[in-house]
Amino acid sequence: MIASTTIAICLMLLPGQAVDKAVQLKERSIHSTFEELSHAADRAREENRDDDAIRLYKQALTRRPDWEQGLWSLGSLLYQKEQYAAARDIFREFMTQRPDAGPGWALLGISEFQTRQYPRALDHLQRAMAVGMGDRQELTQSVFYFAVVLLTRFDHYDDAMDMLVRMIPNSQIPLLTEPAGLAGLRLPLLPSEIREDRRQLVDLAGEAVVLSQTKHYEDAETKFQQLVSSYPNEPGVHFLYGAYLMPLHPEDGIREMQRELQISPSHVLARVRLSEQYLAWQKPDDALSLAEDAIKLEPKRASPHMLAGEALVAKSDLAGGIRELQIARDLDPPNSRVHWDLMRAYISAGRSEDAQREKQQIEQLNRPESESSSTREVKPE
Amino acid sequence: MYSFPVMRAVWSLFFLVTAIPCLAQSKSFNQIAKDAEIARINNRAGDALRLYNAGLRMRPGWSEGWWDFATLLYDQDRFSEAQKAFQRFIALTPKRGPAYAFLGLCEYETQDYDSALRHFRAWASSGWAGTPELLDVSVFHFALLLTRDGEFVRALYLFAPEAAKAGNDPTLAEAMGLAALRMPNLPEDYDPRKREMVWLAGEAAVYEAQQPHDFSRAEEYAARLVSRYSQEPEAHYFRGTLFSLENKNDAAEQEYRQVLQRSPQHVPALIALAAIDLDKNELAEATQFARQSVEREPHNAEAHHVLGRVLMASRQFEASAKELEAARQLAPDSPLVRSHLAMVYNELGRSEQAKQELAVFLRLKNQEGILSPPDERLRSRASEKAQ
Repeated sequence: MIASTTIAICLMLLPGQAVDKAVQLKERSIHSTFEELSHAADRAREENRDDDAIRLYKQALTRRPDWEQGLWSLGSLLYQKEQYAAARDIFREFMTQRPDAGPGWALLGISEFQTRQYPRALDHLQRAMAVGMGDRQELTQSVFYFAVVLLTRFDHYDDAMDMLVRMIPNSQIPLLTEPAGLAGLRLPLLPSEIREDRRQLVDLAGEAVVLSQTKHYEDAETKFQQLVSSYPNEPGVHFLYGAYLMPLHPEDGIREMQRELQISPSHVLARVRLSEQYLAWQKPDDALSLAEDAIKLEPKRASPHMLAGEALVAKSDLAGGIRELQIARDLDPPNSRVHWDLMRAYISAGRSEDAQREKQQIEQLNRPESESSSTREVKPE
Repeated sequence: MYSFPVMRAVWSLFFLVTAIPCLAQSKSFNQIAKDAEIARINNRAGDALRLYNAGLRMRPGWSEGWWDFATLLYDQDRFSEAQKAFQRFIALTPKRGPAYAFLGLCEYETQDYDSALRHFRAWASSGWAGTPELLDVSVFHFALLLTRDGEFVRALYLFAPEAAKAGNDPTLAEAMGLAALRMPNLPEDYDPRKREMVWLAGEAAVYEAQQPHDFSRAEEYAARLVSRYSQEPEAHYFRGTLFSLENKNDAAEQEYRQVLQRSPQHVPALIALAAIDLDKNELAEATQFARQSVEREPHNAEAHHVLGRVLMASRQFEASAKELEAARQLAPDSPLVRSHLAMVYNELGRSEQAKQELAVFLRLKNQEGILSPPDERLRSRASEKAQ
């Protein structure tokens, strides 16, 4: 400990006459004990001598590689100094010791984000959210932000949008505009990956989305109009506007979705939204036709099967409807709407045991911990 | 799916690290090995790592211990340490197959890309051993490195079955987009401004790779790609390749010519156009394109191959044989080169050599594995028609 302290003092004198002494003492530090080095490292950190602290923590960790506090302090220091690759490797070691530490997963995930290891970053940010980050509000907001932009990059636009909506009350709106625009247009890009000539498109869409989510409908409508008139042939624009219009003005929503299909002929979700609206209007033939087209395009997506099942049941084809609903259930077990549909269909078919099983599933999904299911009841996507 | 560790343990959220105060010197190796295994099975990774470490210090030749230690480290994303442990394991055992794959994965993560590629090649040569999960992850990373190394067609050939299995996976789409656009980059090291272009190409490549092929969706994305990035030669080249796969040769030819307008020395486009011309029996232009491609890239086997075919169709058999022999030297495992050589030797009356080449062709065709050059398959139909 004495030796380490002397090194620290000596290193503060660098460069100059102390160099030789520092080298001499550095050699002595090789023989220092773990206790000496760890105390010196802590002291250097407290005194904001980050580089010294980093070096001393590294030395201490060679003597005791699983020293939790040392790993955490070293990782945090490297993170603060934006040495993300080094921070990432230290946090990985730390997480072996403390998989229950949410902030550790958070800093690991953000470090991986910064080193462009996006799939792993998303995984670890989600772990941070699952484990929890205590009362660290700023860190929590950062984790949410990075998770939102990564969910968008990995095509999970609706999950990203759900998180964005939850972020709005506690965040600076301008920060959310680009992520909202990207998720709304269903573009799998990070904000940093938007080309200059596309930024206006994304910003406009993002402003419209944020305004609609904050219930500023008149302003949102103006923005959406501006968006579709500025980018009438851009894939995704009419779908976004249509999705906004559908619950408010279904006829206009239908028009926009049909326009989207002219621009993007294989757009599955435009068909899903149209099918759903036709079901609401009790036009099961139209709904079924669209759902079947969507199934052909993407047979492993649950929602077209669900809508096909609902349409078939509405057309009194119980067997066919149940078959499609079962496929939807198997593809997306937490979707409680499918279980409701199935329960009703089984009752109509006189299959009371099966209906009872679906009822139990619904009850299970409606328990508080099954939050994800309740948010998915209203819309198929 | 493709970036996560193969054997990630499921951690309890409330797992508490139980400290192992000190491994008593008196504890026998057998006891430590047993405790390590129990800790590993019970997902106590921290304890298990300490115990394996202690056991391996006592008995450095414990190969099973190195394997467990290495895979545990890998499982914890501690790639640099895992890399060393796999190296120790490999040095101790003759059964190296899956360890090569793990070592390649670790080296990929520590950015030792050349070693990673070398070890993936060793893994492939030793029979692609491993669980289906290891196979998926390793093939994916192998293909990423082939892309980085400029072996785009081979990379796409490896990606394609993964895409057929996984469907539209965004990570896979990005990787396929890079290969489709012939960008020698890894997903984590290319210009972010090219991301949208890579995405569009990747989506098209993924839909093309589905079984059955979803050409209509692939074309939709490829059309968006060229409309948004019309000045990019690789965007047109990729769309041309897509049309070729659909046997839409006129549309493909248009795209390849678009490439040459933007990049007159684009060798893959020159080769593709020479093959299309050959198919149409327009031999003058075919010869011009094929010669240009050989001049531009004298070490490109496919350039010599296509020139050899063009010369054969022009009945210049001696010259054809020379070009095909050059192709054979550059790509000795190419069955199509062998079959064309057999044909030209026949024409020259060198029947013994023709027989030999035919035998090699049949052998190569029979053992056509995952590493055989897939571009040949794309061109085989046209070449058969041309003969």
